Amino acid sequence: MTRTFLLVAALLPFPAAFAATTTATVDSGTISGLGARNIGSATMSGRIASIDAITMPDGKLTLWVGAASGGVWKSLDSGTTFEPMFDDQPVQSIGAVRIDRRNPQTVWVGTGEAWTRNSVSIGDGIYKTTDGGDTWKNLGLANSERIAEILIDPRDGNTVYACVTGRLWSDSADRGVYKTTDGGATWQLVLKGGNPSTGCASMSMDEQNPDVVFAALWDFRRKGWTFRSGGESPTAPSASALMVTRDGGRTWTEVTPEANKGFAKKPYGRIAVNVAPSDSKRVYAFVESPASALYVSSDGGQTWEARDKSQWMVWRPFYFARMTVDPNNADRIFKDDGNLILSEDAGKSFSVVGGFRGMHGDIHDVWINPKNSKHVISGDDGGLWQSHDGGNRWWKGENLPISQFYHVSLDDRDPYKVYGGLQDNSSFVGDSAYPGGITNSRWENMYGGDGFWMFNDPADPDYLYAEAQGGHIGRSNRWTHEARDIQPTARAGEKLRFNWNTPLHLSPNEKGTLYIGAQFLFRTRDHGQTWERISPDLTTNDPEMQRQEESGGVTVDNSAAEMHTTIYSISESPKAAGTIWVGTDDGNVQLTRDGGKSWTNTVAPLLKGKDALPKGLWASWVEASPHDAATAFVTFDRHTFGDFAPYAYVTRDYGSTWQPLVTPKNAKGVRGYAHVIKQDPEQPNLLYLGTEFGLWVSIDGGANWAEFKGGKFPSVAVRDLAVHPRDKDLVLATHGRGIWIVDDITPLRALSSELLEKPAAFVAGRPAQQRISGPGGWAPGSATFIGDNPVDGAVINYYQKSRHLFGKLKIEVLDANGNVMDELPASPRRGLNRVVWSMRTKPPRVPPAVQLAEAGTQGIPVLPGTYTVRMTKGGEVYESKLDVVLDRRATYSLEDRKQQYDAAMRVRALFGEESAVMDRILAVRAALAERERATKDEALGKRIAEFDGKVDAVRKRIVATTEGGAITGEERLREYTDTLYGAILRYDGAPAAYQLERIDVLKSDLADVEKQFDALMDKDLPALNDALKAGGLEPIAVPPKEAAVADADIGSGSGRRAGGELGDPDEGSLAESLPRAWVGYR
Amino acid sequence: MIRTQLVLCAFLLGLAGTAQAITAEELAAKNAEAKGGVAALDAVKSVRRTGKLIVNGGQFVLAIVETRQRPDSIRDDVSLQGLTQVESYDGREGWRIDPFGGRKDPERMPADDVKGLIEDSDISGPLASYKERGAKLEYLGTEDIDGTAAHKVKVTSRAGDVQYVYLDPDYFLEIRIESQRNVRGVKETYVTDLGEYEKVGGVYWPMAQTSGRKGDRDPVKFQFEKVEINPQVEPGFFSFPAAAKN
Repeated sequence: MTRTFLLVAALLPFPAAFAATTTATVDSGTISGLGARNIGSATMSGRIASIDAITMPDGKLTLWVGAASGGVWKSLDSGTTFEPMFDDQPVQSIGAVRIDRRNPQTVWVGTGEAWTRNSVSIGDGIYKTTDGGDTWKNLGLANSERIAEILIDPRDGNTVYACVTGRLWSDSADRGVYKTTDGGATWQLVLKGGNPSTGCASMSMDEQNPDVVFAALWDFRRKGWTFRSGGESPTAPSASALMVTRDGGRTWTEVTPEANKGFAKKPYGRIAVNVAPSDSKRVYAFVESPASALYVSSDGGQTWEARDKSQWMVWRPFYFARMTVDPNNADRIFKDDGNLILSEDAGKSFSVVGGFRGMHGDIHDVWINPKNSKHVISGDDGGLWQSHDGGNRWWKGENLPISQFYHVSLDDRDPYKVYGGLQDNSSFVGDSAYPGGITNSRWENMYGGDGFWMFNDPADPDYLYAEAQGGHIGRSNRWTHEARDIQPTARAGEKLRFNWNTPLHLSPNEKGTLYIGAQFLFRTRDHGQTWERISPDLTTNDPEMQRQEESGGVTVDNSAAEMHTTIYSISESPKAAGTIWVGTDDGNVQLTRDGGKSWTNTVAPLLKGKDALPKGLWASWVEASPHDAATAFVTFDRHTFGDFAPYAYVTRDYGSTWQPLVTPKNAKGVRGYAHVIKQDPEQPNLLYLGTEFGLWVSIDGGANWAEFKGGKFPSVAVRDLAVHPRDKDLVLATHGRGIWIVDDITPLRALSSELLEKPAAFVAGRPAQQRISGPGGWAPGSATFIGDNPVDGAVINYYQKSRHLFGKLKIEVLDANGNVMDELPASPRRGLNRVVWSMRTKPPRVPPAVQLAEAGTQGIPVLPGTYTVRMTKGGEVYESKLDVVLDRRATYSLEDRKQQYDAAMRVRALFGEESAVMDRILAVRAALAERERATKDEALGKRIAEFDGKVDAVRKRIVATTEGGAITGEERLREYTDTLYGAILRYDGAPAAYQLERIDVLKSDLADVEKQFDALMDKDLPALNDALKAGGLEPIAVPPKEAAVADADIGSGSGRRAGGELGDPDEGSLAESLPRAWVGYR
Repeated sequence: MIRTQLVLCAFLLGLAGTAQAITAEELAAKNAEAKGGVAALDAVKSVRRTGKLIVNGGQFVLAIVETRQRPDSIRDDVSLQGLTQVESYDGREGWRIDPFGGRKDPERMPADDVKGLIEDSDISGPLASYKERGAKLEYLGTEDIDGTAAHKVKVTSRAGDVQYVYLDPDYFLEIRIESQRNVRGVKETYVTDLGEYEKVGGVYWPMAQTSGRKGDRDPVKFQFEKVEINPQVEPGFFSFPAAAKN
């Protein structure tokens, strides 16, 4: 078919649209044209797993950052600005980033973070770029899941070692130390662990002799309910070991206390090892053992001495096993931990120099500048930090929006606010829109700890609910930040089991009613003053999954992250009060239809038959349908068993039966374990599914799914999402890239198979508000993140079956009389497209002067009403209606707006009248100039010049004329008119009486000017014309008074209003900013 | 020529798996053919496009006249309220007039600021002209460009500058060009999207373009309404005004 079409197409003036022969499908290309905007924030940033940097020959630092779950970021300017480099890759979890120092354009990235906390993501192998990150190749180790370190042989960039930690949740043989000698084309496993749960956790090369490599093998395993670093207990056998090769990986020798005097006694947990770059003999090894300590060798690892074993040597080794030795001083070493500690005496003693003091804390990597050891860069759970005094004081990076949200909720303010809790970064409230952009400062911390669920209290907007790990919930005053602890408490002899990510749920039926789940479901109807226990234990209550006090392996680690057999998800039906669904982390899907009096475990049907689900999986999300009381959706998550496939089901009969939507056998293109599923509140067939690798959308009730990639949305975990009921925005909580907003998903609701088969069509959107705007923000510099606002204008949505490549794609806006008001630049992409109309008239025609009339570059906001949008494409014409309405927040009426419009139109007419007079002046001056050039009579020439001076004097009463580019302060009629026009445009209500009077004043002044011009024409010109005739020249005709033309031929008909965005702090002048605004488009 | 080319396209499209076998050089040839053929391109000694320049999300709409002349001259005249901004490159140096703040004197442009003009002066485009410019090509497979699996070709200039050119997979015309430039020691990446091709003088010209720094949510938009082939261009049109030389 395509071939036939192309033959036909060749005969046409333009090849015809491809749509005629292709079958439309809903895929990423269909839906991603809606775009998305990232509102951050970088205030809380997020966990960083790995850093590398190199000083380039020009003195600037190239800095690479591997985020725990937010991809790879590159700065070419020492951290002033960053660019995400990994957004096109299928994973965002990073374990190691290493620059080839002989060729800094070559960078290796090991995916899959190796700081194996409960919420850690997964990778898919090792990547390399040879062009500074423009393009990447996945070079294998696909089953590695996580890579802790990469070492590049300084003699040969093709020789690389990968420290593959391997699978966290399951056994695997794909782990240990891998080596390539051909740049990653092939890999050899040169060191493997003693069992399938042992991989590589740390690796260090002797830079003086790169054949010497130390590698730490680590025996570890996490389950949903426990973790071990080392064996099952502090004294249980473990395969963890410190190994060394001195022949480039061909043979390895274990470092043992028997063979290497002074080394730690077994069993071991996690080990971190470093060879000092400046001294091959100095080797440091932090060893987790029943007597965790730092061991130091001064003979290249032959013999060792135990040194520091203070608090920060024993705290959470699984999370903090990395050290950095000063490349210029073998005695100076940083050890990462909750605090950042520094030794300057080769590990004999340490000082706390960062971490919980002066930084966020929970350090994961440190880089020391080899050219200046005082310059230190660190990454922790809160982002990136730089020190210029050797690590004592820290400067926080405010430009890495890698925040790790767990949940998101919205309120009904306008613009609505966004609420959410973040991994180790508390609970924040931010703006969904703000004049000047959503700066970091527009996010406010409201609680503490790790953050999870957070809600505005709909019963009292002065309060909100926020939550820290383990179900610690506070009811916080929005303004004083007073936070009252309202967590339900246990009965005598009982332990409540609250998940790390304990579910809170607001009743959709009773304002102010809140649910929280431990193993029991609790309900409060009085803001936490009292709690009702409305269920029995809804979990399996399996005691084998309740031994958290034994969790940790060698070092106990029981932080609430392993709490299990808990309620994990709650959803009350908006259609039936008291119908409540509960999912548990051990696989139950419980339902009550009587407000908690009785419960049914509805998961049973899913555990039977040939497609039975395995027991024990997490019911990661339950969602009562907003359309039908009997319908609910559930996602299951088995990643804690090493199964990363998505599972999603729906029931339409209260859980009696379930239908699969997405399963491992039929994933329908969905990738990653599922976190959240929601049904659109207005379109029942529209489903949203968030997984560890992104967002998928179905428009047919789950039969087919398309990945959403709008706005370059990366393959980051979508842990929660919310649809704003009023604004129809889809808000995504990502665990690694902050909050993203898809503005107005109305077009998704309109997608249908019928629409998809059309070559093109308009698609409905929400009514277009004329939003009030004003100045905001202040010069932020380059080193800070600013979240995008929604576009300022009416969004026009349309669909195209194929990309528009040939001929005009014309999109026009027409008024009620069918007059074309504007023509908009079209978007050519396949699928849904968006273009924006400013909702303004064409700008006024202004008389030319020496500078721009800045307000005069703008059109007037049109009056609210129904407009027509018309698309002309390939000879076909499509039309749709567009409703323009006032800002909901407006304190002025439609009548007020009409008064503004009328006043602005009068000023616009005044501009036109000034232009008309100016036309006459310029016509006379042109004629005079021509005569002056033509005459050879000096006296006549002088007389012409004198007359021209009189005419020009009139011109100078209308416009400013002083050239040179300085701030002249010169104001004439046009400038006064422009000031008045701007003042009227900047406020959408009725103008003040003095502004209306000012119009009349200026009109009167213009009449006076015109009178002066007419007098010249009437009295002086005839005499001059006589002289011209006498000199053999044509007399000059008096230019007729012509009707003023109010519209500019060109100007702004599509613009935002003046001053709506960040201004220049010195001038704040639109005219000042205009040249800068567009210079450099080439 | 276009017919022959499209027949060839259809033939290639009919053969499963041939896309993988395609080379950058073949794509460059297809691109030249798709534009109208080498002969038609070579017949264009100069070209002028007239239209609108829409900036800052439509905050300003300016009239633009873009004039290009082989081998590598280009001039933009951009007007608003009777003031005309000029940016020009005559093959040796760039200059501009920046009148909106009240100054009309021409000024010379730093060499790094001219790089974009130089790139855009190429009438044939980076693929069709790669041989004569001594550039190297590398085919990088297909990449999704707004829902289109576009062919991606890396063009490395003689000076080492890199452009990534994305071609429509069916018609082999550019739909995106990503240009990397070193500007005062800083790597800048500009992205230009091209579309609404129309055939004038035997050659397909993009009548719609967007251009901006990579990541810009609101790139500058060009809407051209008229194309003139081999218009009369006065001598010295592209050069720094003689009267202002010092």
